[in-house]
Amino acid sequence: MNMITLEKVSFLFENTKLEIMDSISFVARKGEFVCIVGPSGCGKSTLLRIIAGLIPPSSGRVLFANHEITEPNRKISFVFQDFALLPWLTNVENVKIGLSRSDISDEAKDKKASELLDRFGLSGFEDYYPNALSGGMKQRVGIARSVASDPQVLLMDEPFSSLDELTATSLRSDIVYMLENKNISVNSVIMVTHNVEEAVELADKVIVLSDKPSHVKKIINISGERPRDKRSGQFAAYMDEIYAALAKDIEQ
Amino acid sequence: MDFFALILQLILDASASWIRMFIALGISIVISIAVGIYAAVSPRAERVILPVVDILQTVPILAFFPFALYIFVVFLPGFIGINAAVIFLIVTSMVWNIIFGVYESIKTLPKEFLELSDLYQFDRMERLKSIYIPAALPRIVEQSILSWSIGLFYLVTSEIFSIGISQDQVRWGIGVAFATLVYQGASQYVTAIVVFICFVVATRFLFFRPLEKYSVRYMRQQARVPQPAQGYERTVIGWVSRNISRAPSVLTSNRILKGRKHVSHLPTPKTRHDLRMLYYAGLAAIMLLLIYVFATNRMLLELESVVFPAIIASFVRIWFAFAVMLAIAIPLSVYLIFMSRQSSKYMIVFQIAASIPATILLPAIAVTLKSGELVAFAVFLLSGIWYVIFSVMASTRTLPQSVFEVKKIFGVKGRSAWSNIYIKAIVPGLITGAVTGIAAEWNASIVAEYFTNASGNLVSSVGTGLGKVLDLSLVTCKSGASCWTAQYGLPALSGSQGLMLMGVALLNLVVMIILINTLVWKRMYRKVSKIYMG
Repeated sequence: MNMITLEKVSFLFENTKLEIMDSISFVARKGEFVCIVGPSGCGKSTLLRIIAGLIPPSSGRVLFANHEITEPNRKISFVFQDFALLPWLTNVENVKIGLSRSDISDEAKDKKASELLDRFGLSGFEDYYPNALSGGMKQRVGIARSVASDPQVLLMDEPFSSLDELTATSLRSDIVYMLENKNISVNSVIMVTHNVEEAVELADKVIVLSDKPSHVKKIINISGERPRDKRSGQFAAYMDEIYAALAKDIEQ
Repeated sequence: MDFFALILQLILDASASWIRMFIALGISIVISIAVGIYAAVSPRAERVILPVVDILQTVPILAFFPFALYIFVVFLPGFIGINAAVIFLIVTSMVWNIIFGVYESIKTLPKEFLELSDLYQFDRMERLKSIYIPAALPRIVEQSILSWSIGLFYLVTSEIFSIGISQDQVRWGIGVAFATLVYQGASQYVTAIVVFICFVVATRFLFFRPLEKYSVRYMRQQARVPQPAQGYERTVIGWVSRNISRAPSVLTSNRILKGRKHVSHLPTPKTRHDLRMLYYAGLAAIMLLLIYVFATNRMLLELESVVFPAIIASFVRIWFAFAVMLAIAIPLSVYLIFMSRQSSKYMIVFQIAASIPATILLPAIAVTLKSGELVAFAVFLLSGIWYVIFSVMASTRTLPQSVFEVKKIFGVKGRSAWSNIYIKAIVPGLITGAVTGIAAEWNASIVAEYFTNASGNLVSSVGTGLGKVLDLSLVTCKSGASCWTAQYGLPALSGSQGLMLMGVALLNLVVMIILINTLVWKRMYRKVSKIYMG
C-alpha cells in the first residue's frame, strides 16, 4: 500500500522564478523507510515541507493514502533538524504541543506526554526546560513530540545533523529499535539527509536527487536486516552506488 | 506667513537641530569606542565601568536637564551654554548603548583574532585600527540607529523645555518651531511635523542605510559548515539569545558571560558573583546612608514630604499608561507577527514611528486637551508605546521559521496558541519594551506634567508629579519665583533651596529606578534568559 505518493511535484519561487525542483515522483510504501539524499541546496528540505503540507507545490501533487495533501494533518508528523522545541515550554509541555489536535482532556495529554518522555529515556526531565538538555536529549523530546499524536508517516529533516557523531549514532539505533518493535503507529518514514552512510544504514529505499532544478536521479533499493553491518562489502557497495550517482552530478 | 518662508524656516530649524544631533552622535561614538574598549580589555576598568554605565543608562537623564541647564548656563554664556546643555543631554541619551555595543563586540571577539595580533606583534594602535574598531563597527552602527531615535526624543523635548525659560531658550530648533507654531494654526503645525518626519526618514535612508550596508562587510560570519555549535545557533535558542542581545544592556550585562565558549576575555563565575555581591552591598550601604541623612535633616525631610507624594503620583500615572500600552501593544503585535505574518513589512514603519518623538505632539496635545492629567496620560502613552511595539516586533523578527512550522504541523490553535506560543514568544521583547518604554515615560515627565508655552504661560499641569517638581525647582517662571508658591502653596525657594529640592527629587527618582530595575526587571530577565537561552 502506498502511504505517500509524489506525482510530478515541481517547485519554483514565485518572485524569482528560480526553479528548485522539477517533476519529482516517487512513492513511500507502508512499512518503508525512505531516505532522500542530494547535493546541498537542491531543495531536499523544501520537498519534505511540501510533503508535510507546509508549502504548496507549484505543480504536481502529493497524496497521502490516495488523498491529496493540502495542509498539515495529524497523520503526518515532522522531526526538525534544529529540534524546533519551544524554549519557553517545559519538555512535557513541548511534547503536549504534539497532541494539539487530540480531543482528549488536558490531564490525559499530560499523562500521555509523560509516558512518551519516559519511553524516550527522559523520565525525570518532564519539568525541565529544553535548554537544560543536551542536543541528543532535545532531539528525543522532538521525536517524542512528533509521535505523540500517533501519526502514520514521519517526516524527518536531517534529524541527526545538529548532533555530534556519537550522539547521532545512538539516536539512530534508537530510531531503528523504535520502528522495528512496531510499538508505535508510524509505519512509513521519509528522511532527508546529506549523510550517505546514514542513508544506507537506515533506508529501504534511497532517492538520489540531482542539483537544482532537482529531479530524481536514481532510486536505490537497499536490502538487509537492520542493524546493518557498516563494514560489510554489501554496505560499501551501496554507498559506492549512491556516491557514484551523486558524483555524476558534480562532474556535469 | 508665506508657505515657502515657513518651509525655509522649518528646514533651517530642523538643520540646526540635526547639527546638534550629529555633533552629539560624533561625541558619543568617540566616547563609546574609548570607554567600551577600555572596559573590555581591562578587567579592573570593567569592574568600575559596567555598573556605572548600567545605572546611568537606566536613569531618565532628561530629568537632569533642568540641572544640566543650570550648570551649563552658569559657566558658559547664553548661546553656547544652552546649546552645550542640549548637546550634552543628547550625548547622555545616546552614549550608553553604544558603549555596551563596543564592549560586547570586543568581549565576544574570538580568541584567534587576538592570537593573530600577538603572532604578528601588532602594537596598540594597529590592534585598535585593524581589530578592535572594525570588530565593533557593525554594533556601533546598529546601536547608533537606536541612539539616534532616543536622541531625537531628548532633542525635541529639551528644545521644547528650554522655551519655558525666559533668558536661555534655544533660538533655532525644530522643537522650538513646534512650540511656537502650535499657536499659529493647524496647517503650520502639521507642516512642521511633515518636515520633521522627512528629516527623520531622510536620515534613516540617506545616512544610516549606507552605513549599515558598509558595516555589514565587517560582520563576523557564522561558519558555513554545519557543526553542532552552528546548528545550535540557528535554533530557537539562538534566536532568543540574539533577540535578548537587543535588550538594553542593563539587562544583558550578564548575557555575554553565558554560552559562548570561544571568547577572548571571559570573567570567571567567581568574579561575576563577587561583582554582584559588591553591587548589592554598595547599594545597601548607600541606602542606609541616605536614610540616615534624611532622618537627621529637617530641611531635607520637608522637601521629601513634597517630593515623595510627587514621585508616587508620577509612578501611578506612568504605570497606568504602561498598562494601557500593553493592552494595545500585545494584541497588535501578536496580530502582525503571527496572524497577518506581515510584521517585516511594518517593521520599518514602526522603526520610524518609534524614532519620531511623541513630544512633537505635546504642544498640540496640551493646547487641545487642556486637562493636566489627560495631557500627561496622552504624552506618556505616546512616548512609550512605540518602544513596546517596536521591541516586540524586533524581538520576533528573527523568530525561526520552525516556530511557525511547529504551529502548523501540530495544529496549535486558539487559546493554546496564545498561551503556548504568542505570549511566551514575545516575553523577551516585552521586557525590553517595558524598560525602554517606562524610561521614555519618565523622560517625558518634565514636559508632560507641566507645560508652559513660548511666552512662559502655563498651559497644562498635573496636581503634583516628579516632573512638575523638577520643573519648578530651579526654573523660574516668567512671572518670577512665585510659580512654586502658586502651585504648591509653599514659601518661595531661594536659589540654593531650589537646587536642594532638585537634588532630593533626582535622588528619589534614581533610587526608585535602581530598585525597580534590581528587584523587577533584572530578576525577570535572569529568569527569562535562563529558560530561553540556558
